[in-house]
Amino acid sequence: MDLDALIGCVTSASCVVTQTTSGLIVGMLLFLVAAGLTLIFGVLKIVNFAHGTFYMLGAYLAYTVFAVTGSYVLGVLGGGLGMAVFGVIFERFLISRVYGANVLMQLLICYAVVLICDDLVKIVWGPDFYAMGMPPAFQVPPLFIAGGVVPPFYLVLISAALVIGGALGLGLGLTRMGKIIRAAAVNPDMVSALGINTTLLYSLVFAVGGMLAGLAGGLAAPVRSLTPGMGFSVLIESFIVTVIGGMGSIAGALIAAVVLGLIRSFGTIGFPLFTDGLMYIAMIIILVVKPSGLFGKEIV
Amino acid sequence: MLQIRGLTKRFGGLAAISDVTMEFPAGSLTAVIGPNGAGKSTFFNLISGAFRPDAGEIVFKGETITGLDRAAIVRRGIGRAFQVASFFPSMTVAENLMAAIAAHRGQWGDLNHRFPRQGVRDRAMEVAEMLGLHDNADTLSANLSHGDQKLLDIALALALEPSMLLLDEPTAGMGPEERWRMIEKVQRLWQQQHLTLAFIEHDMDIVFGISSSIRVLCYGRLLAEGTPDEIRNNPAVIEAYLGTPDAEEDA
Amino acid sequence: MSVPTRSHTLRDIMIGCLVIAALAAIPFLLPSKAFQDFVIRCSSMALFATSLNLLVGYTGLSSFGHGLFYGLGTYSFALLMQKTGLPLPAAFVLTLLLTAATAVVVGAICIRLRLIYFAFVTLAMQMLAHSIVISWVGLTGGDQGLQGGIPRRVVAGIDLGNQYHLYIFSAVLLVIGLLLMRHIVSTSFGTSLRMIRDNEVRAAFLGIVVWRVKLTVFVLAAVFAAVGGIVMSLFVSGAYPELINWPISGDAIFAIVLGGVGSFLGPTVGASILLLLNDVVTRQTEYYGLALGIIILLFALGLRRGLLDFITQRLGGRPAGGIS
Repeated sequence: MDLDALIGCVTSASCVVTQTTSGLIVGMLLFLVAAGLTLIFGVLKIVNFAHGTFYMLGAYLAYTVFAVTGSYVLGVLGGGLGMAVFGVIFERFLISRVYGANVLMQLLICYAVVLICDDLVKIVWGPDFYAMGMPPAFQVPPLFIAGGVVPPFYLVLISAALVIGGALGLGLGLTRMGKIIRAAAVNPDMVSALGINTTLLYSLVFAVGGMLAGLAGGLAAPVRSLTPGMGFSVLIESFIVTVIGGMGSIAGALIAAVVLGLIRSFGTIGFPLFTDGLMYIAMIIILVVKPSGLFGKEIV
Repeated sequence: MLQIRGLTKRFGGLAAISDVTMEFPAGSLTAVIGPNGAGKSTFFNLISGAFRPDAGEIVFKGETITGLDRAAIVRRGIGRAFQVASFFPSMTVAENLMAAIAAHRGQWGDLNHRFPRQGVRDRAMEVAEMLGLHDNADTLSANLSHGDQKLLDIALALALEPSMLLLDEPTAGMGPEERWRMIEKVQRLWQQQHLTLAFIEHDMDIVFGISSSIRVLCYGRLLAEGTPDEIRNNPAVIEAYLGTPDAEEDA
Repeated sequence: MSVPTRSHTLRDIMIGCLVIAALAAIPFLLPSKAFQDFVIRCSSMALFATSLNLLVGYTGLSSFGHGLFYGLGTYSFALLMQKTGLPLPAAFVLTLLLTAATAVVVGAICIRLRLIYFAFVTLAMQMLAHSIVISWVGLTGGDQGLQGGIPRRVVAGIDLGNQYHLYIFSAVLLVIGLLLMRHIVSTSFGTSLRMIRDNEVRAAFLGIVVWRVKLTVFVLAAVFAAVGGIVMSLFVSGAYPELINWPISGDAIFAIVLGGVGSFLGPTVGASILLLLNDVVTRQTEYYGLALGIIILLFALGLRRGLLDFITQRLGGRPAGGIS
């Protein structure tokens, strides 16, 4: 624990700027992953324990597309689209077989997919760390805001995540399918009562969820090292985000993700070894005070 | 036996039950009726401790039981059955009843003795026989017919040797003939066990046919109470059920 | 569920004694260190998994963080042995008391939460414990683990540093633990667990104080998990962060789903299969995850239930603690 360092940082404008930016990046990427997780839970009442794997595969896919085409944008899109397809396959062939089964059965299937994908990544890309590196277009000198160092790419990342989040919000708010998804998250029975094709709906939800995770993985690829198993910490963190925000609530996920990102970035300074512990404590406190999360509905 | 004074329960801003005062005399057989959404089930939930009232008082056998939890109220002698039959689907009929009896005898925390303890099985068969479930004693309760599941739910409440029994729509989901068979069983129980019994019912033939007194709830308030004859001729009740001509046009 | 009688208890005890006698004899016929290691690890895992099944299979409480108590068992026992002069039996008992006290606090926070929230908060509790172990380097050795061995292992002529002695000791603990848990689920209390799993509301309206039953079983399960942890601590001569990290809970969940949540011995069978798979597969291929994942998928999608449950149902029986 290093409280002096934390106080020193909070009272210095440059440190606040630097830490806030890195907290926002963590938070926004986490939001994209968590939004898919919470969407899937809201509509299907399934906890997708393999969601971190979507993120990992998205990052690797983006890396490869970037390596081949040299275009970072294509890489990110490739990661997103690839994971949308993967999400549908995963839903159709695996998860749909355990709808209504015990949650442990679902956990087990996802666990199996995580194990398999981690090893497949080892086979295809090798077990070593990969660094994609900053795309050439963004290899420019950093900005200095109030004395804090902010690489321009960070701002691009945050805005890209905001744009994707905004598009998701608009898609859910304005399109017919979006409205159905939102309604289904509130009341799953209603959907079958209205005669909506649930098979299609469920696949779509997994496609959107997979795409969000894939995009997040692609966006993160230049600033994270790629390694088999990188999905796990993201999975745990996005769980914490969805649980704190209230499972099924996208707005809740956004707020919780940003808060968690900031806890992480400032926590690294004050409690370098206990940053994770801070997140768990935050989650436990919030659930004890409000058992369904900040924006969640009471599940009976 | 049971006195209720000024009972009020609000959900959000809406009063589901407001200022209800009534009494259930010992040994009475009372029907609680009212249009859909009148607050009948909420009323039973308040008495049995599923919800905590916002105001008012519930007195059972001279003791205030307002705000006690479900288990504490059950131990004082108020048993209940549910609108949707509620039991333990992984157990047989006999196991269901034995479990209820063990719970009633305070053995639910017992880590020393094997289940069921002495006498529990015999008592379970007695209760099963009261409701004609003894032939199905070893049937898995999940596999019982709908009517038998409703009977099992009532039998679970009876296993507690209650002095008062609350039945939330004992005939829900049954055909006309089955309804009468069910209600006759309930009536026989009431006589043989010297119970104070209150039930929610929608079938007016049954209500007027068997109950000794009737309470009418409407929009969370007590609209009327009295004997079947008094209720039949009460203008407020007729209006609530048939609606004024204007109201009907609106609908 | 046939009506259990005193003779069932006697029969269970007899079987337990036979198992111990058989295990005691095996090393004389087939001297294999690997087999003894396997039994020791298996005893630890089986105690842990069966204790988790008290929650999952019998009460319907899906805990994802039960490994907290397993890890707590290993760390408290190893620490008590290293840092205090207590004799082994005292450290054993004190570890169980510590675990029980922790479980009362953790349980009081968790049991009022529903379903998936209960699962996540138990997981968060375990991750929190793991973070504490990692960051409190002075006490726990951080991510290096608690090294330095476990002293004073000789108790009444039994040397738990000796492989064969530890092997018998673990088997005896397993059998006693299983008999006790078997007894717990066959008492009236055990019936209350099943009532809560089937229909919590109905149980409450029959006079059961649900939170008290849940908290009791949570604490009991924690204590049995800690016994498993102590066995592991003796086996590895210390404690390591992996033993309190989340995958240890994952292993236990895997073991009970693999073996069958509806059969009392399901988790024990599952634990054995899991360890066997682990040993065989890691020897055959470096892609352990790939192989294990495929096997899990075949199990989950093929049988759709644990092995023992599958067999019981095929034989026309009804699982005692069945959840579908």
